[in-house]
Amino acid sequence: MTILFSEQTSEESAAQKPLHPWRKKPRKFTISVALAVVVPFLVVLALLLYSNIPGALVMVIVYLPLQLLAAGITAVYNRGVRSIGDSMIVVLAIGATVFSLVILMSVLLSLVVRGIGALSAHFLYQNSVYINPSTPLEYGGIGHAMVGTFLILLIASIIAVPIGIATAVYITDVRGRAVPYVRFFVQAMSGVPSVVAGLFILTIAVSTGAFNQSAFAGGLAYAILMLPTVARTAEEVLKLVPDDLRTGALALGSTRARVVLQVVIPAARTGIITAILLGIARVIGETAPLLLAAGNNDGTVLNPFDQAVSSIPVYIFNNVALPYPDAVTRAWGSALALMILVAVLFTLARVLGRGRVGKY
Amino acid sequence: MSTAEFESVQTLEEQMVESAAPRDLAMDARNLSVWFGKRKVLEGVNIAFPERTCTALIGPSGCGKSTFIRTLNRLHELIPGAALAGSVLYEGKDIYDADIDPVHIRLKIGMVFQKPNPFPSMTIRGNVLSGLKLSGMKRDDHDAIVESTLTSAGLWNEVKDRLDHAAGDLSGGQQQRLVIARALAVEPNVLLMDEPCSALDPASTLKIEETIRELSKNVTIIIVTHNMQQAVRVSDHTAFFLAAENEPGHVVEQGLTTEIFSNPKDQRTLDYVNGRFG
Repeated sequence: MTILFSEQTSEESAAQKPLHPWRKKPRKFTISVALAVVVPFLVVLALLLYSNIPGALVMVIVYLPLQLLAAGITAVYNRGVRSIGDSMIVVLAIGATVFSLVILMSVLLSLVVRGIGALSAHFLYQNSVYINPSTPLEYGGIGHAMVGTFLILLIASIIAVPIGIATAVYITDVRGRAVPYVRFFVQAMSGVPSVVAGLFILTIAVSTGAFNQSAFAGGLAYAILMLPTVARTAEEVLKLVPDDLRTGALALGSTRARVVLQVVIPAARTGIITAILLGIARVIGETAPLLLAAGNNDGTVLNPFDQAVSSIPVYIFNNVALPYPDAVTRAWGSALALMILVAVLFTLARVLGRGRVGKY
Repeated sequence: MSTAEFESVQTLEEQMVESAAPRDLAMDARNLSVWFGKRKVLEGVNIAFPERTCTALIGPSGCGKSTFIRTLNRLHELIPGAALAGSVLYEGKDIYDADIDPVHIRLKIGMVFQKPNPFPSMTIRGNVLSGLKLSGMKRDDHDAIVESTLTSAGLWNEVKDRLDHAAGDLSGGQQQRLVIARALAVEPNVLLMDEPCSALDPASTLKIEETIRELSKNVTIIIVTHNMQQAVRVSDHTAFFLAAENEPGHVVEQGLTTEIFSNPKDQRTLDYVNGRFG
């Protein structure tokens, strides 16, 4: 057989520019997709403007089916019958994403609209001593509640994170006999209602006189709620670390403890940080345990064992239903501050968790 | 037949030989350059793959062989930052044309990977038929397809009594032959193989090589291999890739396998095929 090779053209190829031919679409594709997006949008816009049907209803019973239909027709027109499924999945995925974003945005928006009036520098650091519900917004703040929430989260994390990760390590790496039971109880524990955790600490620690209502007692109640979330998420991410790494380390003469501490956990570092963040996210807004275990205080309390301490959820709870507009605005403002605090915490953790070496 | 007609036929054949007429070719990469982000990993690759032959791509690690075959069935573009210039002709058309559906290309140009990847949740039979299901092909003769593809892949005798067992129970070599059968079930015209034997023992390797020899009578095979003897045993043509340090890879030399291994024109090819570097 004769070989049919063409000549090499090296000068020509050195001048080539990197292209992305798969991004090019034929004209009829671009036009039909544009139509499939614009037509349902215009129909819905017309309905919203010129009819009395409620907007949500229009979106669900007109827009979604219409958009699915348009996407299906476009898919068949461009790529044949087989691609209908593809287009439907794309529409549903985008639809679901937009839907959840809309809900999230409206929560944020209502927080901002109602709470922005309270936000100011002094609102973030002053406390509420000498402040009553009718005091105007120029005075007082939630500094005491911020400090309290922060202390309680810190205590809860110090307790729950090591225990949670150790539990996960027990399940994935120690693989002891009790694994099925441990896993079962961790799972059961994640169903404990937050008020029960608060009552538990109240009865065994506070009512017995062992501790006051305090940041520490609140932290204990939070730790009970955090623990199963941290343990289960950490277990999932440790399971993702390939066994090859474990055997690789063992084959270098490592002890099992060193395998876990120096190979497995570092490999799963971002996942572990996610586990901690999910644990914090699980508890940060919980009100009931703190009402019972941490109490309330108008002043700033720094000693975690000494006396009752304020926290943002309890502050919101105490103010939001009062018949004074300024108190309600303060409640919304502190909710907004809590959201911002969470955002800052999570961004910080993500940035700190970003490693320069590869991981799973 | 008059002399004039005869002559014109002759000229046509000559032209075909000279101009690499696409009619004879299963695939044809023309002046193909490939990037990952800003880094150029392949430059100006021209290789033609005649129909129903086996072409081996050889060269040291990191010279772009695997990247190259992933451009041949449009898997390259799935990697973020991927870019490409030049063209890849299949049935005379550029597979990167805007109106070409990559799903169709991947159906016609199958691939077998370095690590056997049978679907763990499916049985042996289910794995063989999975391509039909995934690509939405309607066929009635499932039993016949299972038997013929497993036979082509040299696995039928070993698994015919346990087609309903999980695919994960098979050995590595059997799994690799199973994924070859899976790739064949959708009747591709071209089969890309990226170091299909690198994780296998010599006996399994030999079986897969027999399979490749047999298959290349009907299907165009393009195989990346680090095993020189394997290239000699299975391929009709060989292309030798090389990348200087921090330079994009390119084809140093290509031609009939017998030529490349016995009488290469380039000193680097001679050194590589004799195991003096790489």
